[in-house]
Amino acid sequence: MDFDFSDDQEMLRDTVRRWVERGYDFERRRGIVAAGGFSREAWREIADLGICGLQVPEAQGGLGLGPVDAMVVLEELGRGLVLEPYAAVALVATSILRAAHEAAAAPRLEHIAQGSEIVVLAHEERRSRYRLAHVETAAHGSAHAWRVSGTKIVVPAGGKASAFIVPARVSGEVDDAAGIGLFLVAPGQPGVEVRPYPTQDGASAADLVMHEAGAIELIAPGAAFAALELAADVGIAALCAEAVGAMDKLLAITVEYMNTRKQFGAPIASFQALRHRIADVKMQLELARSMSYYATLKLGEEPAARRRALAQAKVQLGESMRFVGQQCIQLHGGIGVTDEYAASHYFKRLTMIEMTFGDTLYQLGEVSRRMQTTAGVFA
Amino acid sequence: MDLAFTPEELAFREEIRAWVRDNLPKDISDKVRNSIHLTRDDLQRWAKILGQKGWHGWGWPKQFGGPGWNAIQKHLFEEETALAGAPRVIPFGPVMVAPVIMAFGTPEQQKRFLPGIASGEVWWSQGYSEPGAGSDLASLKTRAERRGDKYIVNGQKTWTTLGQYGDWIFCLVRTSNEGKPQTGISFLLIDMKSPGITVRPIITMDGAHEVNEVFFDNVEVPADQLIGEENKGWTYAKYLLAHERTNIADVNRAKRELERLKRIAEAEGIYDDGRFRDQIALLEVGVIALEMMVLRVLSAEKSGKQSLDVAGLLKIRGSEIQQRYSELMMLAAGPAAVPLKKELVEAGWQPDQAAAAFVAPLAGTYFNMRKTTIYGGSNEVQRNIVAQTVLGS
Repeated sequence: MDFDFSDDQEMLRDTVRRWVERGYDFERRRGIVAAGGFSREAWREIADLGICGLQVPEAQGGLGLGPVDAMVVLEELGRGLVLEPYAAVALVATSILRAAHEAAAAPRLEHIAQGSEIVVLAHEERRSRYRLAHVETAAHGSAHAWRVSGTKIVVPAGGKASAFIVPARVSGEVDDAAGIGLFLVAPGQPGVEVRPYPTQDGASAADLVMHEAGAIELIAPGAAFAALELAADVGIAALCAEAVGAMDKLLAITVEYMNTRKQFGAPIASFQALRHRIADVKMQLELARSMSYYATLKLGEEPAARRRALAQAKVQLGESMRFVGQQCIQLHGGIGVTDEYAASHYFKRLTMIEMTFGDTLYQLGEVSRRMQTTAGVFA
Repeated sequence: MDLAFTPEELAFREEIRAWVRDNLPKDISDKVRNSIHLTRDDLQRWAKILGQKGWHGWGWPKQFGGPGWNAIQKHLFEEETALAGAPRVIPFGPVMVAPVIMAFGTPEQQKRFLPGIASGEVWWSQGYSEPGAGSDLASLKTRAERRGDKYIVNGQKTWTTLGQYGDWIFCLVRTSNEGKPQTGISFLLIDMKSPGITVRPIITMDGAHEVNEVFFDNVEVPADQLIGEENKGWTYAKYLLAHERTNIADVNRAKRELERLKRIAEAEGIYDDGRFRDQIALLEVGVIALEMMVLRVLSAEKSGKQSLDVAGLLKIRGSEIQQRYSELMMLAAGPAAVPLKKELVEAGWQPDQAAAAFVAPLAGTYFNMRKTTIYGGSNEVQRNIVAQTVLGS
């Protein structure tokens, strides 16, 4: 048992942190938000850091690194509220492609590692409400001639994507996990309409409307759902790490403000009501950091234990993000609610993380349903 | 970064587990698992069993007769004993006063006091709080006046846990009124059989006699029972607090009690009620987060690489969780928790009632647990400390 980072991981952290601090400051980010929430240039810079292929196998030109390395990167990107869909491409989509038919997946993985392709998972539907098995989008066909019809919503950076990974129903009822296959759908073809929009936190997303769209099978029904569930858990671990980075930074911003802002002739940091609040914020941050480690370190467990652990982590993160976000705005007073000041942007990102890959109530249901007699980190 | 224990650590755990299985008396663990009050004999028996193995001072270094375990081994020992239903070792001797005697006592004091603590034979109590000195401990007034080779002690201590059983008591006493309140305090070891000491029970709202008032009326204490230097007692007390780190969260007991909560809920037919079950699930998340926080501290201690100043957080969260599981257990029993059946809680351990849904003590335990956010530095005082660290001002 050991929670230290290796020297390589510390170097990786420094590399990403330096880029975020020097290359992705608040003013640049503001410009990217105004321009639609995605910057090709910033994406190129992220690729130049060498991290797009973090989890792409070495055979496809990647680094073949593991979950802890991903956590380190995401904490730093979270600190700077980086808008570009790093986790969606380099972790979530990559996780599925690594389990997919090689002929279809290998070129995608190579391009992801080079930073030249943006492949994203398009799984959410209007009525699925976080349930991965609830898939109305339908696929029919065989071998190399698949057709997919249906609508996916809130696809990260959907307007910039070069390909979509789409869960679609080949057979079974609307919530039958075994009847779901995973398909690769390219934009810019007949029957595919991408409707992009900005998101509440300044990033970009899109709805993906498919009508008899041409598709390539990535993973056949049977194995597909397990890969989808793993990808979602990879996504949760990434969000947890990102949230920890964002909360860490938001706490630092708030502490600085409390020590400089004066009211009643004294720094507001001297008032006990506020001191106790910041102590509670620190508590929620450390509980979240603990569960972010837990999420990352449990990714390699067998599926049932992994799912339970990741649900537990997302519940803690949900509780922590709401508390830290809301209270740090409150501690700032009026300046906290303005668009001009950074705190509100952290708050908005933390709020949107809650609603990605299962909110707190949904994941609490998962924890509840999967609860066993014994509990604990090693149970 | 790795969550798994090493093979050596796992082997160590197996060794502890087997020993506890063979040596923990079943009548004691049955009581612990059902929140039946433990008698002095129960507690003393377990202390001596540990003492014979050399584990009553499980955190002690080898030079003082301890096992010399590292932070992880200590944690595994605490975990295995807690999960097996062992009583919590009364900490005042082995965990609190012993490290102070080791660090600041003379060789004679070490020789005189440590063996009785190690064997579990001498029962120690703690004399810190006073009627006028709770969170503001440094304002304590119990006075010790030096006369020749003796101190004469006058005053009153309170909240003395299990003081009715105490053979000895370590006390913070005022030896000077000069300067800041903290600078005039000394650390005295006092034989509780000394003339002039009176112990009076305080009955808490659960009807239990767990805490006491201790009165000192011209009590003579030989000067060689002063630890370290006169007026330096506050420093030793702070050392003592710093010594009690991760165990303060009591996460191992929380894991055991969480299991028990599930058994009670199941027996009471409420485990499958979604609203109730979700509350248990939320608590389970809290327990795991707390355990991860404890493990982070242990790992940091082991490697010495990161500094993690979260002792205050562990105390706050650990106590909140204790209160929550005791509350949910009571609520799980529902109306069955209402009758006051004192005889069942006190001596009434009956094997035929060993069912998981042994509900008589549940309300009392919930009442009793209100203490956890108050003692050991109230949670509000802990928040002051955390805030100081976070704000740096």
